[in-house]
Amino acid sequence: MDINSRPVVVKRMPERVNARTAREFLRDVRPFLAADRPQLVFDLSQVAQIDAAGVEMLLRCMSEAHKRDGDVKLASLSDQAAVVLELTRTERLFEIYETSTEAARSFSGFLPNAMRQQLLHNKRSAQPAAA
Amino acid sequence: MDIRGLLLVNSESIGEIDQSPVAALAGTLDVAGKSPLLRIMERLQQYGVSSISAVVETGSSVTARNCGLPSDIARIAAAPDRFWRTAESVFNDMAQRGAELVVLVRLNSYAETDFEKLIQFHLDHQGRVTQMSHGEQRLEIFCISASRRNDAASLFRTQLTRCRTECPLLEHEGYFNPLADARDLRQFAIDILTRQTQTCPAGEEAKPGVWVAPGALIEKGARLLAPAYIGSFARVRSGAVITRCSSIEQHAVVDCGTVIENSTVLPFSYVGAGLDLAHSVAGMGRIVNLHRDVSVEVTDPKLIASMPAKSGKRLITSAAEIVTYLPRLAWQGMFAGAEAQPADLHDTLRQSSPALGNAAGYETPACDTETSHKFPNMVVARRYGHQ
Repeated sequence: MDINSRPVVVKRMPERVNARTAREFLRDVRPFLAADRPQLVFDLSQVAQIDAAGVEMLLRCMSEAHKRDGDVKLASLSDQAAVVLELTRTERLFEIYETSTEAARSFSGFLPNAMRQQLLHNKRSAQPAAA
Repeated sequence: MDIRGLLLVNSESIGEIDQSPVAALAGTLDVAGKSPLLRIMERLQQYGVSSISAVVETGSSVTARNCGLPSDIARIAAAPDRFWRTAESVFNDMAQRGAELVVLVRLNSYAETDFEKLIQFHLDHQGRVTQMSHGEQRLEIFCISASRRNDAASLFRTQLTRCRTECPLLEHEGYFNPLADARDLRQFAIDILTRQTQTCPAGEEAKPGVWVAPGALIEKGARLLAPAYIGSFARVRSGAVITRCSSIEQHAVVDCGTVIENSTVLPFSYVGAGLDLAHSVAGMGRIVNLHRDVSVEVTDPKLIASMPAKSGKRLITSAAEIVTYLPRLAWQGMFAGAEAQPADLHDTLRQSSPALGNAAGYETPACDTETSHKFPNMVVARRYGHQ
């Protein structure tokens, strides 16, 4: 497993992501995107409304990160955000995780989803035996 | 025998009003070209009930939209607090004018009732009020002897929950849809398009399984995969794909390159360009996603927008767009950077959704471009529906 010592920045997105808030958000994360090989996780758990400007901003962040050999991952998508990302065909462009912790961990090692499910299953089945 | 029909349309009756107005309007929204209200009305007429009155609640979301009642149906508007009183007086009027039986239907579900059987059952049992049932559930479909005004009055005063005397129940055997929420509305569209109902889509079957209503405009390059429905004056623009029991209702617009899969686009709604709408009911500034069971408000008109229902307003909006088109182009020409046009199909398929604009040059691929580079003569496009 690759040991990664570079920091992962986790940023929570605002409740309403429109042109104005997207601009503000981009201004906030720009210093992190300007770093070498930036690693960002956007937490979308609080997003209740996101429009095309918000999706554009996500793509812009991703593009900026890719230019510097980094990545942007999404975590804890609210239903509202998930619906809009699906609608705009952008959900397939991002790695999406259940929690920010999982997303942050994913930068240091690749664990296929099937393996993760298997591990989770083994852990659960081991618990009653231990009890 | 003088048999008359009485339809009751109020917001309480049309499902539970949850966060989605779609649920509240389910009975009056068009499904494959006609609302359940209109379909029930036509069914009554098929069974020889020619004199029909509809009591419609005013000031609610129900009457905010045109219910699309034909001119031969008497429409009586009633304030929400006087709704039941008005219904009772309409019933009494019918009785005074010589009606012998009144078939009463409250629009909270869609049932393909055999009204002949209901009337015969009522006459055979010599009942005052006969009610339909579907399994354990009592349907709000009644046959009432017009001379039994007290029984009718008690029924109206208890909002159809109780009758003065015991009502014989007749089991409903035909198609039934509770129309309680957007999921039921979607299921109703699927059932109509797959011909599981006796009622048909409103329009001509342009090719097997694809119904197109008069005035619909399907641009060259748009693809309709059966079963599908395109409502009157709806517009499906170039490159759009309508598939898997999707229903585009009257005056709706599906913009270029959008894929509508297993979804309903409500009347007078606009779906932006280059989007993927799947397993949803879209319109009135909302998307109800049935897979996620969530209703999302969309305020961005580039994605989902509502268009004015009145033709005059639509005309003004279109005129304003035309008038501002040239100045907008001139402005963009003077101050914006030149936008490179895609040279070929590969470039076109690599473009992002037009609804998103130019997102920092990031291109959302619409196809497997890696394969396209390896084999320049081949384009691997995404597969939709039965393609």
